[in-house]
Amino acid sequence: MEINELKQIVEALLIATPEPLTETRFHTCLGDSVSKIPLQEVIRELTTDYEQSGRAFFIKEVAGGYQIVTNGEFEPYIKGLFSKSGKLRLSQAALETLAIVSYKQPVTRNDIESIRGVSSDSSLRTLLDRKLLEIRGREDGPGRALLYRTSTEFLQYFGLNSVKDLPRLREVEDILAEDDQELV
Amino acid sequence: MKNQLHRIDLEMFEGPLDLLLFLIKRDELNIYDIPIAKITKDFLEFVNLAKELRLHSAGDFVLMAATLMKIKARMLLPIEADGDDEIEDPRTELMNMLLEYKRYKEATTTFSEMERSERPHYYHIPATWSPHQEDNTAILEDVKLYDIMLTFQYLIKNYEEPATHSVAVEEVTLSEQVGFLSGLLQANAKLSFAGLLEKFESRLVVVVTFLAILEMLRNRQVKVKQSKLFDDLLISRGSTFGN
Repeated sequence: MEINELKQIVEALLIATPEPLTETRFHTCLGDSVSKIPLQEVIRELTTDYEQSGRAFFIKEVAGGYQIVTNGEFEPYIKGLFSKSGKLRLSQAALETLAIVSYKQPVTRNDIESIRGVSSDSSLRTLLDRKLLEIRGREDGPGRALLYRTSTEFLQYFGLNSVKDLPRLREVEDILAEDDQELV
Repeated sequence: MKNQLHRIDLEMFEGPLDLLLFLIKRDELNIYDIPIAKITKDFLEFVNLAKELRLHSAGDFVLMAATLMKIKARMLLPIEADGDDEIEDPRTELMNMLLEYKRYKEATTTFSEMERSERPHYYHIPATWSPHQEDNTAILEDVKLYDIMLTFQYLIKNYEEPATHSVAVEEVTLSEQVGFLSGLLQANAKLSFAGLLEKFESRLVVVVTFLAILEMLRNRQVKVKQSKLFDDLLISRGSTFGN
């Protein structure tokens, strides 16, 4: 198959895909018409096309696949499509809970609460309702507590390809050293 | 007025550890050598002034106050040096908690920044309906445990037990309900959970049946679909059905 034909197919897939389009899914979609050109390369070609023709969107690498997202400059107009003024932001409590889950997953509610030193029931519920976290099984120990993990929506929300892309959790010494500098 | 100000102040903090970190930073204290008497005094002052603590976190602040007082008391006790055993500083556990919490608190800045930079980008989301769906009531294929729990909560809330006054021991077991569901699924390709509810006369039977569904879901004897949150659960045969 030629690159131009593939470009059109990938473009169609990106428009219709309900979740990030992965290399595997791409090959499933192609079926018998095997492609020697990897998805990554087709995406690169499309990206160049979009840039040259000044599209209002681009292809984002997210959650292990590709999806079409709008360019940032159109946010003021897009906002008008939704009843709420702008997207809701997560509270500090929810962000703390999310940070603990993403670095230590899978974790139980108890793990989260012993780090935060405060009940985290409502932030967990918010994060589950917004599908940023999901329940993935139970702990083996006594009580069989539920285990929480980050979801695909989490990666999309923060624009990450995988949890491995999160910046490393900083060591206390670094943070304290920085605090000291601020004081000086 | 003064109280109100302090109430708002305490709400700025995510919990007792957050408040302690604030006090440490404000007074430029050494986190590795916390002056426990001073910090206990300041902490209690804050908490006492905040008479209207938010109910859900009040307990956490009180617990920390108790912990601080315990540490303070232990530091006042004369140290009994018995042999070579190294005596642990009573503050160590608290210090470790503060340091660990500080790392995650710092990390939220990164998450905030990522959130902010992703905010202006909107995903292209295709229409949820497509002609390729087996039937248009089952859009959400990937039903998670949490969704099922919410749905159950929702459905059972609307479920009224018929007002009868019979005193009989209801004996319904999980395996009975698994058998019952298997029987129904032999005859029908799809079952509606809401439909099943109508057949039952007690909450207990509903709960046991729901547990039976979860059990069968776990063994892949059934599949569960839902078109949207709080909607009916559609039960169909799973990959190991009948094995």
